[in-house]
Amino acid sequence: MTNSMNDIRNAKSVLIVGENVCTSHPIAMQHILHAKEINKAPVIVVDPRFSKTAALGTQHVGLRQGTDVAFIYGLVNVILENGWEDKKMLAERTYGIEALQEELKKYDLDTVQNVTGVPKETIRQVAKTIADGRPGTVIWAMGGTQHSHGTGVVRTFCILQLVLGNMGRSGGGTNVFRGHDNVQGATDLGLTSDSLPGYYGVAPTAFAHWANVWGADIEWLKGRYKSEALMTKPGFTVARWYEGVLMEAKDLDQENTNLHAVVFWGHSTNSQSQMDRVKRALDKVDLIVDIDPFVSNTAVLADRKDGVYLLPAATVYEQRGSVTNSNRDVQWRNQIVKPVWESRIDLDIMMDLANRLGFGKEFTKNNKKAWSKETLNEDIAEEWSMGMRSIGMVGQTPARMKRQQEYAHLFDVDTKKAKGGPVDGESWGLPWPCWTDKHPGTPILYRADIPVAQGGMGFRARWGKEAPDGKTLLAGDTVTLPGSKTKGGYDTVKDSATDITGKVFAEALAQGLAPSGNGRARLNAFGIPDPVPTHREPIHSPRPDLITKWPTYDDVKFQYRVPTLFKSLQKPDWAAKFPVILNTGRQVELEGGGASERACSWLVELQPEMYAEIHPELAKKHSLKHGDWMWVESPEDLDDRPSRVKVKARVTLRVTPNMIYLPFHWGGSFEGKSLASKYPDGTVPFGIGESANVVTNYGYDRVTQMQETKGGLCRIVKA
Amino acid sequence: MAKALAATPGAQGKNPRMMFYVDVARCIECGGCEVGCKNENEVPFGIQRIRVLTVNEGQTGETNVPVPCMHCSNAPCVGVCPVDALFTRADGIVHVNKETCIGCGYCLYACPFGAPQFPTNALFGSRGVMDKCTYCAGGPVEAFSAKEHTIYGSNRVAEGKLPMCASICATKALVAGDAEEVEKVMKQRVAARGYGQSNWGWQTAYQRA
Repeated sequence: MTNSMNDIRNAKSVLIVGENVCTSHPIAMQHILHAKEINKAPVIVVDPRFSKTAALGTQHVGLRQGTDVAFIYGLVNVILENGWEDKKMLAERTYGIEALQEELKKYDLDTVQNVTGVPKETIRQVAKTIADGRPGTVIWAMGGTQHSHGTGVVRTFCILQLVLGNMGRSGGGTNVFRGHDNVQGATDLGLTSDSLPGYYGVAPTAFAHWANVWGADIEWLKGRYKSEALMTKPGFTVARWYEGVLMEAKDLDQENTNLHAVVFWGHSTNSQSQMDRVKRALDKVDLIVDIDPFVSNTAVLADRKDGVYLLPAATVYEQRGSVTNSNRDVQWRNQIVKPVWESRIDLDIMMDLANRLGFGKEFTKNNKKAWSKETLNEDIAEEWSMGMRSIGMVGQTPARMKRQQEYAHLFDVDTKKAKGGPVDGESWGLPWPCWTDKHPGTPILYRADIPVAQGGMGFRARWGKEAPDGKTLLAGDTVTLPGSKTKGGYDTVKDSATDITGKVFAEALAQGLAPSGNGRARLNAFGIPDPVPTHREPIHSPRPDLITKWPTYDDVKFQYRVPTLFKSLQKPDWAAKFPVILNTGRQVELEGGGASERACSWLVELQPEMYAEIHPELAKKHSLKHGDWMWVESPEDLDDRPSRVKVKARVTLRVTPNMIYLPFHWGGSFEGKSLASKYPDGTVPFGIGESANVVTNYGYDRVTQMQETKGGLCRIVKA
Repeated sequence: MAKALAATPGAQGKNPRMMFYVDVARCIECGGCEVGCKNENEVPFGIQRIRVLTVNEGQTGETNVPVPCMHCSNAPCVGVCPVDALFTRADGIVHVNKETCIGCGYCLYACPFGAPQFPTNALFGSRGVMDKCTYCAGGPVEAFSAKEHTIYGSNRVAEGKLPMCASICATKALVAGDAEEVEKVMKQRVAARGYGQSNWGWQTAYQRA
């Protein structure tokens, strides 16, 4: 999020696309309701399904799933035609408007109506509503990202906010709601296969920086890898790791080797698509380690008698440490009870593992602490705050986080700022960038109207001073932050991302400069596929007539070490064989893989069974009554039989007659058969059911390899 | 019981009266109240002291209504109970004495909210003793005793706390407390947003002739 959950209270309009706040982030809904009730902000909910959030909003716009880019471009076109855009923002703080305007020509309102299914009058009205309601916020979640062109979808949200001038303003911003309490922290700390902590990537310079932080010998580090080429090549993603087991080694991009072991740490297989193939990989791989407080779906999916190890991890209540929420707040969490039975805290497990593998000490040379179980969490927080220079995750020392906990009552709910006490002027959670241990944090990114020392900054100048077409990527002269000794834009401050002494940051701040520079937001992100986002039909499109004009990408030979198919799978006859649109998402009682929630009797009592939401018309067509069993079959075909799940029909008007909706948290049952007998004694959850991700379709984002679980097809058969 | 009442907030005031405000314009059906209640009071499977109902699901006008026992003025359940198991405390909280209750079910017919719950897991589905929302105020036995906890659940009111459901409500759609305070919250909200009273159930529960 560029802004914060609390800052939504200052919005004059709220556009929610592909996010069901009431179900996925119920606590955050209070801020949206505040904007609705107090600011009279219209709350427009764009979703193929009439979600609970749609019911609480002021308007529901039902678009066809996977057509977000076209819808947003429709809005942008109306805004530009009427001259409602923020001309100053576009001229002084963005790059690439010409390329955007060229792309926008393809999205006249008739076309947009045809692609999205949203009437053009509605598009005009929504555009006017958000143009009148400034500053306005745009909120999204997985409904925006889980597409084969999800990166493009997300970028159009940013483009819309830049065109409206809603960036760098209280009440505005591009606000993605992350799916778990610490997903932002996990991403920041590099739990992706293409980056070390802090988004440094995996280039040799990135390893050099972190070796410097750890005090590790870079040559020793290199020696741990098979080759330097593999060391600096993005690894497998969680979306497709199983291909590393299943495919022939020669077909993979990792020097003729397969994967032999897989460790799941607080992650469930049932939130990933292609579960039929995941199961095959779990059957075949040499070693499975599942580290979790609960017995997850992963532990019982494989048909095998050995080679599966379950390590009991402590729950959040049994360990302390920092967590980073969606709006970059870094907060300290306390240990409420000591770990019960044989469970151990995550960092303890990790440290023990590193020590037993013989390299624990190599990574802790710079931190002279004892590295005991008692101080581990604080020591590690100090370590990352030394190294995370790139995003300014520096000033959040354990002492400051704990002090904020103690003085939580001094923080204002609307501004997140503290009044009085030792935390006076600090922002709650010291949201990064928090450049030094005196900095108050940056609750709203890219604000050019306040000094850097108070949380101001320009757009980052990450892509150099000049674009390939010779145009400047530095902000215009009018964008001078108060207190800055440099007029207008400037490049990133030299060595700011690699200097771990803090000198460079201190000097920059003394000059009133943001270490990340003062650049331009790129409407045209040269260097990635679709530099200007373009609508692309889902690989399994329900509209074969649109595939020629809006095709998906060409196949990619290697993406994160595996071949990824696009065009060769986008067949026009899918829609005839699989006529029902498949939508998946959350249900409020469960979360993620659901292992912990389905083990809670109170929650299972409310939602005892897996179901498919189905419209009465579609149900009637298949002679299904509310509560009847039905099969959902997918285009994924292994051994000449479709992947399928057996679920109960939940007849409801939430969905349209051409689609069904499956919640994805269920597990413990596979293609109609219960896996209950495979759980260790006494650990069978109260609620087991079929996993939606057995039937979600093939398809991955062209840039991130995020699965296309919001763009599939299926057919239904009465069971 | 006397012990519990002495510590009840609002009990010292002139017109002590605990109540619920169900703001249907704010309820998002997250179920937090249902789960919080179950966990706090260790309510058995099949009994729901509060439940969230959704009307017009999937259509414009879809509304969620959290329904606890509203602890009515002149509560009709109290009036029909043939064994005087039901009674109204001085602070307005309606309690059932589960040691007196015979499980006849009259209160269920009288209740405008469907609050009384009966365990039906006995043979032939015969009704057990009535159970309902206690406003997290335990029951007519010694406060904080093991007996109170087993039969009635938690006694947060005696600890100076509000019912769990309202305390954890994500959007503050369910507001509990002293009548004066609750009414203030309701009036502020309605005045600020300028639409709908949305104080669902008040007429029925608290303005009975």
